[in-house]
Amino acid sequence: MKIFVIGAGQVGATVVQALHSEHDLTVFDLDGERLAALSQRYDVSTVEGNGASRRVLAQAGIKGADLLIACTSRDESNIVAAMISKACSPRTTTVVRTTNPEYLEVWREGQLDVDFIVSSEVETAYAISRTIGVPAARQTDVFAEGQVQMVEFDVTAKADPSILGASLRDARIPPDSRIAAIIRGDGVVIPRGDEEIRQGDRIVVIGSPQAAQAWGELIAPGTGTVRDVVVFGAGRAGIAVARLLIEQGIGVRLIEASRDRARYVASELPAARVYHATGFDPDFLERERIADAEVAIFAMRDDMKNHFAAVLAKVHGARFTVAIVHDAPSQEVFEHAGIDVTVNPRQITAEEIVRFAHDPRTQQVVMLEGDRFEVLDITTRRDSEYVGLTFKEMPIRGALIGALVRDGQAVFPRGDDVLRPGDRAIIFTESRRVAEVEKAL
Amino acid sequence: MSRREAFLAVDVVGALHIVGTLIAYLSLATLVPAGVALGYGESVWPFLAAGGIAGGTGAGVALATRGDYRLNVREGFLVVSLTWLVAAALGALPYILSGDPQLDRPIDAYFEGMSGFSTTGGSIVVNVEDLPRSLLIWRQFSQWLGGIGIIVLALAVLPRLRVGGRQLLEHEMPGPEIETLSTRIRDTARRVWILYIALTIVLFGIFIALWATGVDEKMTPFHAAAHAFTTIPTAGFSTKGNSFEAFAPTTQWVAILFMVLGGINFALMYRTIVRRQPRAALRDQELRLYLALLVLGSVVVVTEIWTEDVLSGWHAVRAGVFTAVSTMTTSGFSVEDYNAWPALALMTIIGLMFVGGSAGSTTGSVKVVRHLLLGKVLRREIDQTLHPEVVLPVRLNRTVVEERTLRAVSSFILLYIGIFVLGAAALAIDAARTGLELSPFDAVSVSASMLSNVGPALGIGGPLGSFEPFSDFSTILMTGLMWLGRLEVIPIVVLLSRHYWRS
Repeated sequence: MKIFVIGAGQVGATVVQALHSEHDLTVFDLDGERLAALSQRYDVSTVEGNGASRRVLAQAGIKGADLLIACTSRDESNIVAAMISKACSPRTTTVVRTTNPEYLEVWREGQLDVDFIVSSEVETAYAISRTIGVPAARQTDVFAEGQVQMVEFDVTAKADPSILGASLRDARIPPDSRIAAIIRGDGVVIPRGDEEIRQGDRIVVIGSPQAAQAWGELIAPGTGTVRDVVVFGAGRAGIAVARLLIEQGIGVRLIEASRDRARYVASELPAARVYHATGFDPDFLERERIADAEVAIFAMRDDMKNHFAAVLAKVHGARFTVAIVHDAPSQEVFEHAGIDVTVNPRQITAEEIVRFAHDPRTQQVVMLEGDRFEVLDITTRRDSEYVGLTFKEMPIRGALIGALVRDGQAVFPRGDDVLRPGDRAIIFTESRRVAEVEKAL
Repeated sequence: MSRREAFLAVDVVGALHIVGTLIAYLSLATLVPAGVALGYGESVWPFLAAGGIAGGTGAGVALATRGDYRLNVREGFLVVSLTWLVAAALGALPYILSGDPQLDRPIDAYFEGMSGFSTTGGSIVVNVEDLPRSLLIWRQFSQWLGGIGIIVLALAVLPRLRVGGRQLLEHEMPGPEIETLSTRIRDTARRVWILYIALTIVLFGIFIALWATGVDEKMTPFHAAAHAFTTIPTAGFSTKGNSFEAFAPTTQWVAILFMVLGGINFALMYRTIVRRQPRAALRDQELRLYLALLVLGSVVVVTEIWTEDVLSGWHAVRAGVFTAVSTMTTSGFSVEDYNAWPALALMTIIGLMFVGGSAGSTTGSVKVVRHLLLGKVLRREIDQTLHPEVVLPVRLNRTVVEERTLRAVSSFILLYIGIFVLGAAALAIDAARTGLELSPFDAVSVSASMLSNVGPALGIGGPLGSFEPFSDFSTILMTGLMWLGRLEVIPIVVLLSRHYWRS
C-alpha cells in the first residue's frame, strides 16, 4: 500500500516503525532533521514541507496514495490535510490524529469529512480503563465489542500455587480462556499442553471478560473489583479517563494543582470529587486517605511529576498505580520504581492508526512489549489453509488463535473445534510474522 | 459640569433626569382612579391635582436636567432608590388631597403610599370601607403598578431608557440574578408585563364568573377588579375590612392559587405557558423548593390550629393554607384573625415571612433561591472543614453559580437579618417610649412583616388591625423598612457608602 504519513514526531515515528517493512511510506514534516533521522533508520521517502498544503500533497502524488495518516501534534493541521486530501483524491482513506475529544464528537456526528479520527486522550482513557478492569494485569485489551479480552500478567510469588509448576493440561485454568504466549526473558513460548507457568514469566491470556477477572484473582489474589479511583492531574487525559470511569459507575477523585483548572473540572464533571492540591503533599494524601483507593492514576503532563507522585503514593500505601508516560525512556524508570502499569499515549495512538494500514480484514491490532508482539483480529478467508482443521491439528508457527467470533458471538475454541471460513480469529503473533499470518488465513 | 464630575463620581443630574421622566409618566396612572371617581360621582380633583403636581414636577426636573447623561451601575442604584421614594409620594398625594380624615396626615399618607407601591399591604386605615371608592381603587392600583416593578414597566413602555436598562432592572427585579427572555432587555420587560396583565385579566374573569354564577355574591365587579389588582402582585390591600374573610370559600381557594402563581418566577412561567417548555419548570430547583415549602408551611399551620382546637375540618384547612400561602408569598391577605392562634402557629407565620417566593416573582422577602443557595453554601462549608482541598462548585439547575453571586447571597441575608433585628429593636424601644402596647414578639413580627413586604403582623398590626396607633417615628421607620425590603436592601445600603459617591 502507498501511505502518506504527515508528521514525523513520536506518533509519526511509531507509525513508520510499524509499517515501513510492508508498505511504501512517504513522510512529511516541516523539520528536516527529524526526517533525516527517520530516513536513516527506515526505508521511507521524505518530503520536507507542509502536509496541509495542496501543492505539496499534489506534487508528492496524493492521487496514488491509498492511505493518508495525519498525525502531527496540531489537530487543525491534521484535519486540513485530510480534507485537502479528500478533495484532491477521494479514493485515499484518511486517518486523523486529534488531541481534542470534541473533534471526535463532531466526526461521529458526520460533520467532519474524514474517514477515521483517533483521539490520543480517548484512546489513552480506554487503555487505562482496560487495565483497571483487571487490576492485576499489565495490559488489557478488548475485542469483539468487549466479548473477548486479552490480558497480560506478570507471574509473581503471589500467584495462586495451583497454576505454578503444573502442566497447562493439568492446571485448573479458568474456563473460556487460553494462554496465548509465555514471555520468558527474551524468548517467547507459544505454549502446548505440556508447558508450565513459572514464577517470573509474563503471560498473555485471551478469554472472556469473566475469565479475565478470574485470571486476575489467580495471579494476584485479593485484588477484587474497583469502586474508588484517584486521578492525579486534570489535564485532557485526566479528564478523559475520569469521564470514562464515571460512565462505568466507578467513583473518581481528581487531584489538580491549578486552582482554575480544578474549578473548571469540578464544574465539568459533577460526579467527580475534585481537590485543589498537588499530589506531593504527604499530609494531604493521609488526610484524604488516598491510599484507600483501589487504583491511583497519574495523568499529569510531566513524567517526572508523575513518577514522584506515584512513588509517594506507593509509600503511603497505594495498592495499584497506573501512570501515563510521555517519553519512551521513562517507561523503564517507572517500571523500575514499581509502578504497576504504564500507558504511553503516543504509542496507543500509533497502534490505533496502524490498524488502518493493515489488511482491511483486520479489525483490530494491539501491540505488546513495545511492538514485539501483536494481537490481530482477522476474518478467515474461504481458501485459507487452516479452514476445516481442528485446533488440535493446527501447526504452530509462532502464532496462536485465542478466540473466535462466529456470527457475532465469541467462541473460545477447544481442541476438537473446527475453524470455519468467515470466523473472526483473535490471534497472538510476533510482529514480524503479521504478514505471514494474514496470508495464511 | 466638569467641577461636579470631579467632586462626585455619580452623575446625580443624569439620575434626576431619569427619575423625573419616570415620575412624569407614572403620574398618568392617576387617571385610573379619576375615571372611577367620575363613574361613582366622587371627587375627581384629588387625582387630577396629584397627577398634575407629580407630572409637572417630574417633567420640570427632567427638563431642567436635560443633556448628556451616563447611566452606569452607580447611577442605577440612585435612580432605583429615588424612583421608589418618589413613587410612594405620588401614591400619597391623592390621600392627602382628598382630605379623608383617616389619611390626611402626610406621614400616614406616605406610609400608605409606600405600602401600596412596595406591595406590602399593611394599612394605617382603621375602617377601610369608609374610604371613597376612587381612593380604594387608587390603593389597589398602586399595588398593581408596584408589583412587577415601575422600572420594568418603564422599560417595557418607554423607548428612552434603553441604555443601561439592564442595571436598573437588576436592582428592581427580585432575586440574585435576573433571567432574561430575550437578548434585548426591553423585550424581556415587555414579555413579563404581558404575562402579568394576562394573569390579572384571567383572575378578574374568574372573580366575575364567581359573582355572576352566584357562588360569591359579594364579589361585585368593583371588588373583583380591586382584588385582581392586588392578588397577582402578592400585595395584600383589600377593599374589605376583613380582607378575604368577606368572600366565599371558593373565592378564597382561587386567591390561594393566584397568590401561589404570583410567587413563581415570571420568566419561568413565561417559558412554561407561552413557549410551552413545561420541562424547564419541572426541573427548576427553586420552583420545586418553593412549592415544597408552601405545602410544608400549610401542613404545619393547619396541624397546629387543628390540634389546638382553634378551628377544625375544612375550615381549619382553608384558614391554615390561606394564611401560610398569604404569608409566605408576602401577600398579607387574611381569612381569620390569627392573633388568637397558638404561639407555635404564630412562630410558624413569622418564620414564613422570611421565606418569600421565587426570584423574578412579585414577592418580597429573602426569596427561596437565596435560601437554597445559602443551604448549599453551608453544606459545602461543612464538607470543606473536613476536606480543605476539595473544590465544590455550587450548582443551581445543573449550572454552576459564580462565587461572586454566592458571596452576594450570603451578605444579602446577613444584611437583611441585621436590618430586621435593628428594626425590631427600634420599634420596641419607640413603643416603650410612647406607651404603645407592643410585646417584643409583636415588634419582631412588625419588623419582619414590613421588611418582607407582607403587611399584617401580630398584635395591633394584625390582620384586622391597623398601624394607626404607632408613633410618627415608628411610622417613618416602618416606611423605611418597606422601601428597603422592596429594593432588596443592597441598592439603598450602597448609597450609604462613601466609596459610592467618590471615585
